[in-house]
Amino acid sequence: MNIMIREMKANLKSLLIWSIGVLAMVIAGMGKYAGMKGTGQTMNELMAEMPKSLQAIMGTSGFDLATALGFYGLLYLYLIVMASIHAVMLGANIIAKEERDKTAEFLLVKPVSRAKVISMKLLTALIHIVLFNLVTLLSSIIMVERFAEAETVTDGLLLLMSGMFILQLIFLLLGSVVAAVYRKSKKASVISTGIMLVLFILSILINMTEKIEMLKYITPFKYFEAATILNNGKLEPVFLFLSVFLILAFTTLTYRFYQKKDLNL
Amino acid sequence: MNMYLHELKAYRKSTIIWTLSLIAIVVLFMSLFPAFSRDAEDFMKVLEGFPEEVKKAIGLSFDTLATILGYFSYAFLYIKLCGAIQAMNLGLSIFSKESRDKTAEFLFTKPVTRTQVMTAKLLACFTSLILTNLAFILAVLGTVSMVKTEEYSGKALLMISGSLLFLQLIFLGLGVFLAVLLPKVKSVIAVSLGTVFAFFMIGMISSSTDDEALRFFTPFNYVNDYYIIEHLRFETSFLLVGAVIIILSVLTSFLVYRKKDIHSV
Repeated sequence: MNIMIREMKANLKSLLIWSIGVLAMVIAGMGKYAGMKGTGQTMNELMAEMPKSLQAIMGTSGFDLATALGFYGLLYLYLIVMASIHAVMLGANIIAKEERDKTAEFLLVKPVSRAKVISMKLLTALIHIVLFNLVTLLSSIIMVERFAEAETVTDGLLLLMSGMFILQLIFLLLGSVVAAVYRKSKKASVISTGIMLVLFILSILINMTEKIEMLKYITPFKYFEAATILNNGKLEPVFLFLSVFLILAFTTLTYRFYQKKDLNL
Repeated sequence: MNMYLHELKAYRKSTIIWTLSLIAIVVLFMSLFPAFSRDAEDFMKVLEGFPEEVKKAIGLSFDTLATILGYFSYAFLYIKLCGAIQAMNLGLSIFSKESRDKTAEFLFTKPVTRTQVMTAKLLACFTSLILTNLAFILAVLGTVSMVKTEEYSGKALLMISGSLLFLQLIFLGLGVFLAVLLPKVKSVIAVSLGTVFAFFMIGMISSSTDDEALRFFTPFNYVNDYYIIEHLRFETSFLLVGAVIIILSVLTSFLVYRKKDIHSV
């Protein structure tokens, strides 16, 4: 319990900064919508004919920008990127910082098993990403609700945010795996964010051509896309299954490797 | 001179990795251009069936976007993202590492002034960025001429890819400034990634809503690629703002650094 309280405090500042960031993002983004309203309605028919790569380059990709929720779909991509950065760095940091700050000896001579240390740390991280998600969800509901005309937005937003939460979990655990496996604690967050950036760029490349469509299973950024979620009204089962698999695998790996890790002090 | 060479060597590996990643992004994106240009041609035929007003509404921006330069500008967005992270990381890391790695005492007891230290470090950053940019521009010229389907303006291409250096210098300045201002930077990537993505997202909002005023707040939009393609010149007001940011951040960093209280334990 002490470990949890300690970690809650240690990461509170960064959570606050990120929450303010995401809040500003939602408010500024939806604020922009007020000014955009009404334009682009005539384009919808034409957009439907447009090949995927062209839509990507024109920056519309299948959203009905005339509705508040459609505009929010555009924003969603950036929200999940923010959430993923926060999660991956949190996961890598919370594990690696003991070695980086030379406090590993202090912590691990305490009468707690390594498994318990990781459990406590991961639980704290979980609470943090839940809080991040709630801030996003609430601010989104309030802002989108304000601009929505006779459309129900809460269901869609809840779906989108549950997708974001799964992504956060995947990246949090990705970060912790890297920190548990990699010997040099200083590089853990660099490497895990590097992996995240590569996956992000890959997801953009996939938008450009149908030829590498198969790669969409590799990058979590393609798992939950606003356009598909909003159109189908549910998260895609294939990707849900894949995510659960990834989450379980990463958790096991984190425990496995950290318990046997030769700490670098 | 010793300090300059030492820093160059210390950042050699990271410069090489960043340069190779930038080149990889260019090659990956440009290798998808042939498929994209076929898509664009098909869409042109569809477009002919639409009424004149619709064609006019979409036509102008589409004509610029569907060319190889337009496509490159799209890819360049993500190159800028990576380049900005590289520059900010470099500036932030090089000026915070002495107190992080506890080497401050070693360095500052040498018979050199703080100004000399700072100049050497800044020059090393500058050299590393110049080398990255040279390799990057060569890669761009090579790949673009390989995949081109029609003639394009070489000058515009050079201007666009050359603007990467401008963006990187701004973020280098910001990184240096933050490193000097903050008492201690524990995790470089956390700060730099957060800052760069914040500006990147402001940039995305500004360009997807065509907000001119917002452009001033994000270095990502100081150089408008489509403006260059059409007019073959930069927008002076934005160049000035960028230059002012670079000069101001470097100058204030010098002033602060000379008197900074550096913690060595």
